[in-house]
Amino acid sequence: MSSMIEVKELQKSFGKLEVLKKVTFTVDPGETVAVIGPSGSGKSTMLRSLVHLEEVNGGSIIIQGQALVDNGSYAGHAQIKGITSKMGMVFQHFNLFPHLTVRGNLELAPRTLKRESSSEITARSKDLLSKVGLADKADVYPSMLSGGQKQRVAIARALMLSPDILLFDEPTSALDPELTGEVLRVIRQLAEEKMTMIIVTHEMNFARDVADRIIFMDKGEIAESGTPEQIFGSPRLARTRSFLKL
Amino acid sequence: MSLDYIIKIAGPMLEGARTTILLFLIVIVLSIPLGFVVTLMAKSTMKPLAWIAHSYIYVMRGTPLLLQLLFFCFGLPQIPVIGEYLVMDRFTAASLGFILNYGAYFAEIFRGGLLSIDKGQFEASKVLGLSKWQTLRKVILAQMFRVALPAVANESISLVKDTALLYAVAVPELLNYAKTAVNRDFTVTPFVVAGVIYLLMTLVLTLFFKTLEKRFKFE
Ligand SMILES: Nc1ncnc2c1ncn2[C@@H]1O[C@H](COP(=O)(O)OP(=O)(O)OP(=O)(O)O)[C@@H](O)[C@H]1O
Ligand SMILES: [Mg+2]
Repeated sequence: MSSMIEVKELQKSFGKLEVLKKVTFTVDPGETVAVIGPSGSGKSTMLRSLVHLEEVNGGSIIIQGQALVDNGSYAGHAQIKGITSKMGMVFQHFNLFPHLTVRGNLELAPRTLKRESSSEITARSKDLLSKVGLADKADVYPSMLSGGQKQRVAIARALMLSPDILLFDEPTSALDPELTGEVLRVIRQLAEEKMTMIIVTHEMNFARDVADRIIFMDKGEIAESGTPEQIFGSPRLARTRSFLKL
Repeated sequence: MSLDYIIKIAGPMLEGARTTILLFLIVIVLSIPLGFVVTLMAKSTMKPLAWIAHSYIYVMRGTPLLLQLLFFCFGLPQIPVIGEYLVMDRFTAASLGFILNYGAYFAEIFRGGLLSIDKGQFEASKVLGLSKWQTLRKVILAQMFRVALPAVANESISLVKDTALLYAVAVPELLNYAKTAVNRDFTVTPFVVAGVIYLLMTLVLTLFFKTLEKRFKFE
């Protein structure tokens, strides 16, 4: 089976600072990949490059066989839009739209893009809010929600466009510890449903539990990757061990 | 300050207030959209457009409104060759001056509102597949307006008071009527009545913006 995501020798610099140094990896359909690593190692930059929030300086990103960027040269505007539309992203700080209700947040993009009927959109937003356990919050504004509830709304919003791939950038880092559980439960359920996901996280127990594969990034490179048993049980490199405080 | 006298002058003074209110409405309705367009121009990646917007804001905010009004009412027709085509009635000329002046202030207010919006809002919109234009319309505008609202309210109240500058270009309005009555009747009462009418107008505006701020609270 062909890869869902194929990243080859990805390079990215901010001015003189090399943030990604030939990053290469693939993600298979239905796979959950957790990305761990120290602060500043390039995890966010890598994730943001996949959805074209950052433009890379070299290398390739191939999503479901289509090149977003091929050897450093980007596809056209329309193709980029088409390719990235298959991916959803959940941010550390939720980035909900404060001027819209929870329902409004879910329905804004589908209604604006007009790819389906209004009743289909309404039905799905209802389903997804139940799925994340917030059916009773549909008409509430984000300012009235807890952090955990906000993040669950953000996940439901991303799911509204029926993405094939979901990316998470530290989805629980902005939450009080007692609120991370409710968010992780939703992500775990998506993993069980075989959603293809890349999750940048500092929650090591969660990564070990849920991920099929762990990628350890350090200084702009993938230092080590493997199954949770390999990485957490018997890491090859000293720097992996020291990061995991083993 | 007899009641009879106040009633007698109230008629003509309210007549004058009509001009004041008309000017206010024309200027508000046209300068707010103008300000918004100028904000977008100033933000544009097309350098000449941004340059024009910034220069416009600089000139309009850096010179007295009174000078601008005199320029539009009495200056334009003096320009060689094209001047004769630029003769407008004074109310129209003054309205134009007010619109251009307030447009620049509103542009600055909206620019501040735009800067206050978290970049995460743009990123979330992009990942959800919205175009730049859709993002602006559906995500940014309402938030920008909410941030700008208190400043817009302030500006509007300033405008009510600035309409009195029509006096200087001899367009008959509220203050003009008051001054005429003071000179004619040797009494200060018309000034007091004028003051009360201005206060009423700003009161209505204040209440209006209070309700608007409540509606834009997003709670
Ligand atoms: N827009 C930017 N301009 C300049 N430098 C940047 C920019 N974004 C990120 N960087 C730098 O790139 C490096 C990698 O950043 P990145 O956010 O990808 O790290 P990270 O692994 O996600 O870290 P963290 O765990 O703290 O989120 C850091 O040194 C950061 O300062
Ligand atoms: Mg990060």
